[in-house]
Amino acid sequence: MVKTLPKEEVSISELVDRPWITIVWDDPVNLMNYVTHVLIKLFGFSKERAHELMMQVHNEGRAVVSSGTREEMERDVQRLHEHGLWATLQRDDKI
Amino acid sequence: MSNFEKVGSGYSLDLTLDEAQILINLVEQLLELLGEGDFFHHYDSSDPLAQLLAMPSEIVTPDDPVLLRLLPNAYADPEAASDFRRYTEPQLRGAKQKNLRLVREQLTVLVDENLGGVIEDIEAEVWLKAINDLRIALSIRLEISETSFETFELLPDEDPQKPVYAVYFWLGWLQENLLELLL
Repeated sequence: MVKTLPKEEVSISELVDRPWITIVWDDPVNLMNYVTHVLIKLFGFSKERAHELMMQVHNEGRAVVSSGTREEMERDVQRLHEHGLWATLQRDDKI
Repeated sequence: MSNFEKVGSGYSLDLTLDEAQILINLVEQLLELLGEGDFFHHYDSSDPLAQLLAMPSEIVTPDDPVLLRLLPNAYADPEAASDFRRYTEPQLRGAKQKNLRLVREQLTVLVDENLGGVIEDIEAEVWLKAINDLRIALSIRLEISETSFETFELLPDEDPQKPVYAVYFWLGWLQENLLELLL
């Protein structure tokens, strides 16, 4: 269900400053331990947090692993691709 | 049986000659698919100057499904994806080639002497990424899904696909073996 915000509550700066996010997608190839290992290595997550995100990718098909500026997310996606994870970036669609 | 082992602060890998030959064969095929010519490169492909000249004038979304999975689109939007690809794909390709070349170099020692044995000084991160890229490449050719292990087990021994599946699952086992030492 999507809740539409009353118009006056959305300011331009909120729309412009909406962060970008990096999404990791599920695939039937990457080993669960490998995905956890890569998330710890690239983002410095604790073992528990990395495992949680890996399980989210596995069960829900995707997980947001980082957010920030477009340039930062492009770097994250590139590093994930170097490790063979399937990742994309986009504007955060939550306001 | 092949095995990664922790040796001091590093790792070693014990391979039979058959296993080393299978691996080097796959590594060389993937290097070729990634555009590594069959000659010795005297430059490092991460060198920006080398890339400047080696970069094709037009970098487009790959047709080959293996290349598209190894060098994926970073954006759902095709225009943003192709812009990003133009600037970043040579570096991504170069990183993958570099891992595969290092693995190839270490395997060459065994294969050239026609012997199985232990490879010392395994760089765990390099091998993890290279094995992962090999598994991704094979998975696309085999159309691997969540149920492929059952498919493999039900295949009759004489099926020509059976050994390819066997190599795919062996690579997964090998990668898991190294990961267990790291986690």
